[in-house]
Amino acid sequence: MNDATDIQTESQAETRSETPPVAPESLKMTARNVDVYYGDKQAIDDVSIDIGMDNVTAFIGPSGCGKSTFLRCLNRMNDTIPIAKVTGQIDLEGNDIYDPTMDVVQLRARVGMVFQKPNPFPKSIYENVAYGPRIHGLAASKADLDAIVEKSLIRAGLFEEVKDRLSDSGTALSGGQQQRLCIARAIAVDPEVILMDEPCSALDPIATAKIEELIHELRGKYAIVIVTHNMQQAARVSQRTAFFHLGSLVEYGETSELFTNPHQERTKDYITGRYG
Amino acid sequence: MNTATSPADTRDPTDWATDAMQRRIRARYRAEKRFRFYGLFAVLLSAGFLAFLLFTMVANGARGFTQVQIALPVNFTASDIFLEPGQLEGDDREQLLAQADFQGLARQSAIAAYGEDGPNLLSNGAWVRLREAVSADPELLTREETLWVPASTAVDFAARGDTGARQSDERDAMIARYGELEEAGQVRRAFSWTFLTMADSSDPTLAGIWGAFKGSLLTMIVTLALAFPIGVLAAVYLEEYAPQNRWTDMIEVSINNLAAVPSIIFGLLGLAVFINTFELPRSAAIVGGLTLALMTMPVIVIAGRNAIKSVPPSIRDAALGVGASPVQVLTHHVLPLSLPGILTGTIIGMSRALGETAPLLLIGMRAFVPTPPQGFTDAATVLPVQIFLWSDELDPGFVEKTSAAIIVLLLFLLAMNGLAIWLRNKYEQRW
Repeated sequence: MNDATDIQTESQAETRSETPPVAPESLKMTARNVDVYYGDKQAIDDVSIDIGMDNVTAFIGPSGCGKSTFLRCLNRMNDTIPIAKVTGQIDLEGNDIYDPTMDVVQLRARVGMVFQKPNPFPKSIYENVAYGPRIHGLAASKADLDAIVEKSLIRAGLFEEVKDRLSDSGTALSGGQQQRLCIARAIAVDPEVILMDEPCSALDPIATAKIEELIHELRGKYAIVIVTHNMQQAARVSQRTAFFHLGSLVEYGETSELFTNPHQERTKDYITGRYG
Repeated sequence: MNTATSPADTRDPTDWATDAMQRRIRARYRAEKRFRFYGLFAVLLSAGFLAFLLFTMVANGARGFTQVQIALPVNFTASDIFLEPGQLEGDDREQLLAQADFQGLARQSAIAAYGEDGPNLLSNGAWVRLREAVSADPELLTREETLWVPASTAVDFAARGDTGARQSDERDAMIARYGELEEAGQVRRAFSWTFLTMADSSDPTLAGIWGAFKGSLLTMIVTLALAFPIGVLAAVYLEEYAPQNRWTDMIEVSINNLAAVPSIIFGLLGLAVFINTFELPRSAAIVGGLTLALMTMPVIVIAGRNAIKSVPPSIRDAALGVGASPVQVLTHHVLPLSLPGILTGTIIGMSRALGETAPLLLIGMRAFVPTPPQGFTDAATVLPVQIFLWSDELDPGFVEKTSAAIIVLLLFLLAMNGLAIWLRNKYEQRW
């Protein structure tokens, strides 16, 4: 929380703009004037946002506000939906990810994703984690791959629980363990950004607490963007929060600031529970 | 919620013990019981038919695997076969054997052993057995030996004691004769390798199922080799890549209709396209296989699409999320997960193709083929067509051969389905 307050004091000086500055050395992704259309329907309207490396960014907002849609733009997962059309510019370290020369496969390795429902492959725990490194040729040898798998599982806080049964099916784990396995799978390809789409919505409170703890530990190693329905969760895990409503970004700021002193009426109504 | 006058408040408490209520309960129990009985009846009826079918087939067919053999003392030294054991060691052995008059020898031996009508007791192919014996053991040529050779249909028939519907003195005489032979220990019933190793013949004692079996096998190989990859690729394309538009809809409707087209129409198509246009050989396994592949493919496409559709989208997301390319998602995840479904569809299609007769009749696979096919382009027939042909034969000896052929066909089907179930269980994902 200390870091957050530091940044906060910096940004307090200036009036809040739509995109409060992220320290340039920590800037990972920028989105400018992003619109998303599903056929004729506009799902995202003119969103601009900066994603920093040194903090966890939370997207909050009521159901159907477009926060997941926007998240999926950040690693082009929307490409799989034929009717989805994305305009505007999204850069990853200054490179336009929607540029025709951008390799989607590489992009998704650099910008990993964890989904709402834990979705391990119906393969062994080891294979789940090893899959990404293997298809990208990240491991030179079996020993190398073993090391990557072990390191990823340790980082995901799962290694102690599964080290004796790496060959068991990933689907046999509990929901919380499955989700941590999915996080291990995402970090195994050594991404720069991890997108989490409501990673705890299918989990019980204890498993949720473990995931949140894990997010804390991963902070700084990866730029983390988390979509959540749960405002307390956003307050707990993130340093920056973006509030989406009806497809547009209403407010984006320091988490502590946004929850205690929202500038926009709509944000205030939402966080005080008037709608959502 | 409402005021005190709402109907719910004024209602009397339900009396569950009234007669009307009790009757209703009893009626409900009776209906339950009746319904269960109908279901049981349906199951028993179908099981009964199946048992009846299997019982008749086995009862009739078991004898088709055996043959009546007759003891034939053959004196090779006194025969017209002027062969020496030493001659059979050279390279021209086959030729010498082919030239030797074993037919005459069998005839003479039969007359010597059983009198003037002796040859009538022997199957037309009995002499082949003599040649085989000599080929296996050339020393036979220097001595006299009693060989068991296949008996004629008339003997085979008499062995059943079946006088048939039409009484005839000839048949009665044969039955009496058979009795004598049996008493003298000169006839026996033995397992017939002939049936399992030979192809079709006009003489039921020489007819075998191997030719048709091999024809079926070759045809199925062609069918599988074409229908499976084409069907799966079509299913994958339609499910994963095809844009959603009027053309795809039309293709989908056409494929669904194709699966329902009567099989004989595929036979006409095969005749017109493969034989007339491409001039592939008639009656050959390759044409049969191509024709049946056309028929099987839509079944595989439909099953494949359903199987691919049922792979949870979360798995695709997961694979895409770690940076798998669409082809990798398909080959690493979607196809392995949908394989059990695809295999089930394939087996349903293949089983149907294996039992198919009509289209094969049209492309000439009903020809009389006395030698097993050596390759895909040789004239061949298949099991169901062989059954059809034999059931049409006048010679009563073919009755049991028909049943035996049905048993072979059913076993073939059983083996194929068993393989499919094994494969499916092997690849089935337990979530």
